[in-house]
Amino acid sequence: MRQTPPRLAEKLLLLFLKEDLAEEVLGDLDEKFFYLAQDKSLRRAKLNYWYQVINYLRPFAFKYFRSNSIFITMIKHNFRISYRILLKNKMFSVINIGGLAMGMTIAILIALWIHDEYAFNKNHSTYDRIVQVLRKDVSEGQTYVNSSMVSKLGIHLRETYPTVFENVSITFFRNRRQFLKVGERSLERLGYFFSKDAAELLTLDMVSGTNFDQDQLMAILLSESLASTLFSDGESPIGKVVNLNNNVDLIVSGVYKDLPNNSTFHEMEYIVPMELVYNDENPATWSNQNTKVYALLNEGVSIAQANSLIINALSDNISNGERITEIFLHPMKDWHLNSNFEDGRLVTSSQMQFIRIYAIIGVFVLVLAFINFINLNTARYNNRVKEIGIRKSIGSFRRQLVFQFLSESALYSVMAFLISLATTVFFLGWFNELSGKDLSIPWGNPIFWTLIVAFILFSAVAAGIYPALFLASFNPVSALKGSIKQGSLSTRFRQGLVVFQFTISIALIIGTFTIYNQLQYAKSRPVGYNQQDLIALRGRSDAFFKNYDVLRDELIKSGAVTEVAVGNYPLTNDLGNNCCFTLQRTNEKINVTFNTILVSPEYGKATGWELIAGRDFSRDRGNESQNVIISESAIEMMGLADPIGEVVTLDRDFYNDQREFTIIGVVKDMIKASPFEQPKPLMVFAYEDALPYVFVRLNPSMDYLQSIPKVEETYANVLPGYPFNYEFLEDAYLLKFRSEERIGSLVTIFSVFAIIISCLGLFGLSAFVVEQRTKEIGIRKVLGASVSNLWNLLSKDFSILVLIACGIAMPLAAYFLNYWLDSNYSEFRIDISWWIYLLAGSVCLLITLATVSFHSLKVSLGNPVNSLRAE
Amino acid sequence: MKETKIGDFEETMLLIVGILGEEAYAFKIAEEFERQTQRPVSIGAVHSTLSRLQDKGFLKSEMGGATAERGGRRKRIFMITAEGHAALKTSRDFKISLWSQFPAFADGKLNFIFA
Repeated sequence: MRQTPPRLAEKLLLLFLKEDLAEEVLGDLDEKFFYLAQDKSLRRAKLNYWYQVINYLRPFAFKYFRSNSIFITMIKHNFRISYRILLKNKMFSVINIGGLAMGMTIAILIALWIHDEYAFNKNHSTYDRIVQVLRKDVSEGQTYVNSSMVSKLGIHLRETYPTVFENVSITFFRNRRQFLKVGERSLERLGYFFSKDAAELLTLDMVSGTNFDQDQLMAILLSESLASTLFSDGESPIGKVVNLNNNVDLIVSGVYKDLPNNSTFHEMEYIVPMELVYNDENPATWSNQNTKVYALLNEGVSIAQANSLIINALSDNISNGERITEIFLHPMKDWHLNSNFEDGRLVTSSQMQFIRIYAIIGVFVLVLAFINFINLNTARYNNRVKEIGIRKSIGSFRRQLVFQFLSESALYSVMAFLISLATTVFFLGWFNELSGKDLSIPWGNPIFWTLIVAFILFSAVAAGIYPALFLASFNPVSALKGSIKQGSLSTRFRQGLVVFQFTISIALIIGTFTIYNQLQYAKSRPVGYNQQDLIALRGRSDAFFKNYDVLRDELIKSGAVTEVAVGNYPLTNDLGNNCCFTLQRTNEKINVTFNTILVSPEYGKATGWELIAGRDFSRDRGNESQNVIISESAIEMMGLADPIGEVVTLDRDFYNDQREFTIIGVVKDMIKASPFEQPKPLMVFAYEDALPYVFVRLNPSMDYLQSIPKVEETYANVLPGYPFNYEFLEDAYLLKFRSEERIGSLVTIFSVFAIIISCLGLFGLSAFVVEQRTKEIGIRKVLGASVSNLWNLLSKDFSILVLIACGIAMPLAAYFLNYWLDSNYSEFRIDISWWIYLLAGSVCLLITLATVSFHSLKVSLGNPVNSLRAE
Repeated sequence: MKETKIGDFEETMLLIVGILGEEAYAFKIAEEFERQTQRPVSIGAVHSTLSRLQDKGFLKSEMGGATAERGGRRKRIFMITAEGHAALKTSRDFKISLWSQFPAFADGKLNFIFA
């Protein structure tokens, strides 16, 4: 049997190939096919035939389309007409295409943003199999999900379930910044203590060197960027020594490629083996919950299977009283967007909410742009009526006219898209800065291009289908007679669309104002201590703990500082929690988790907290370790009228082997964690020795430019060799508002664009209306109408539309914003006050009037002779 | 103005047409190119170049005989024109002149000092 080339490929070839080339080309390809089928295989030959056909898609071989295809001629004609119309009405074209381009720009930016959110962690090649181990505690009917694990758990899982896990790695629950020193260069950087084969779990891409050697654990892995900071150019870091915390010397065993910004581990700049901390001499325990556990599932093991095996792995090894503890696995794909647990169940996270909010805004802004297109084209049909009449009477089918108008809108959307692509590229850097992302346009991605084509086609149809159907439906006789008049139905439709546009714009403005208001409200919240002139340092070296007293004395002596204190936690988080105290007098148990911190007796003076009852700690009195100072909300939790002198007993001892404490003072609540939440009830215990967080109150009568260098100098004298890193509490506190500020600025941009697009449309529409009524206005003017009369006449219609939009937008915005505030900021939120609505409404109305007035004033001020004479 | 320069690939094509003589049609030329250079090339790419060379006047062509492997279709045989010969010669002379000015080779010895 003779083998034949693929028929379909042959057909395709003949479709585009010049007729006079057909014989030789088919012959050549047949010959190629014949020899390949003979020498190699039929499959190869067929594939190659396709390849050859595709390669004949070259200009020289194409049919000369102009001469022999009516279809192509018609498309060319359509585009030519569209192009002429585009040039004829420059203003409308600019509004149409510009508006569409703006909408598309916003849509593209949002799409990139959302894509990036979904791509979170996808850089890890075993993305599907990486899990985090979480713990579910059921206590008194409430379920809490936590990620902190006892250090032994990870090791236990690895040893006990080799069939489930390929790799189990643990890291500290909170990895801290450490000092790294190479030669004279000393840096303070954040890295992870991680099990020695964590690099395999995370599928790190080694640039040079290798992962940790089993026998050589005094080693460190560096990220590429850190390696290039620590070592000079051209120097290979492998095998070199890095000193950690002026304590141990570690050998660089490998350098890995930096993790991208959208990886959970992107902050990690180096890895030190966890085995340096937990080993045979210092074994991991079942008691201290200071680690996080990550694991790589074996191939083919499902999460459900694994969960059922390990569910009791933790509770079998610890006794937890009445608490029921289960562990389960949380897949990597859910870490970023689906990690909010409420009562043990997954709920919509705020990340997910943002994705939805932005997606909705993106769609709306695009719809606004489509509406402009629809409105302007249907409004300006007058100019096309004659054309349509003639086309129809010489035999155009309706279908062909629809096609003509659709190809026109396709031309527009392609142009708009090209513009929007350019603006996206232009604004991307700025948008990245604003959104804290690292987005780029995936030029090389075929899926991206497919989506683009689909997107252009979609917008061509979405924006053009109504005008196309509308215009193509005219009766040719009345079209040519000129008896087609503006139908009230289509006017109503257009007005409806304008109302829709402004509803969205006003709602977005109200949203923007509300977000800013909420932000300001939280920013102006009293924090309970004095952030001004307060700086924080970290002391973590042995030298610091030995010399703290000297440091404090010297700092105060320098005159740049009025007070120095230490604590075991910073002022910017509420870590350090302990549960369950008993009130000694009533023997009543208080089942509340308190934020419990240890501080030096000077803490109050250094931070400037506000004492509202009792007294502060004092070093001179001595024996303060039996006393406690509590916060306002702690009194509330305990239900005490007069707390001073009450004694609380701890259920288990965690400080100083001391279990009974006398309340000596009450302070105002301190906002240490999120400024949008109720602060946890606070218990502050006094501690005589050095603690790692240092708070320095600068001399308020001295300039920072003088006091900071003095502090630095003193620090360098007392602790030579340690870099002086400090932060102002004011700055550190402001970081807490970053994500809200981001949302605020993004939503602002989107609303501004929405308004601009809506106004562009309105601008075009009002131009059209004014143009239609030029004669009428001329006559009115001749008969004595004043400019303000005319302005009023022309602006009234649009103002009414905007007012209607206000009426719809306000309750809608109120509903959604209240829902949003309740679900995110229920503990500390504003009530949206009436002036926000009023302001949003008036801003919109003003912009509308300004837009509409441009045309109405122009025609009202003009000489009526001109408008009446023109025909 | 008519284009009279030839590029590297075009030059190679012209030479192969000369080598193949009576058998110079697109499929054979592509095969010969692959055999001599070990580089894959599609028939379409070859054909496109041949037709461009014909437009420039360096090649002429006529329909030749048919064979069974071709499904009985005729082939287009290409031949070098006088202009084609001239262009090849100009190109060669130009390169030889360049080579002779290259100091490392100018004395006729090949010293691969930078190899």
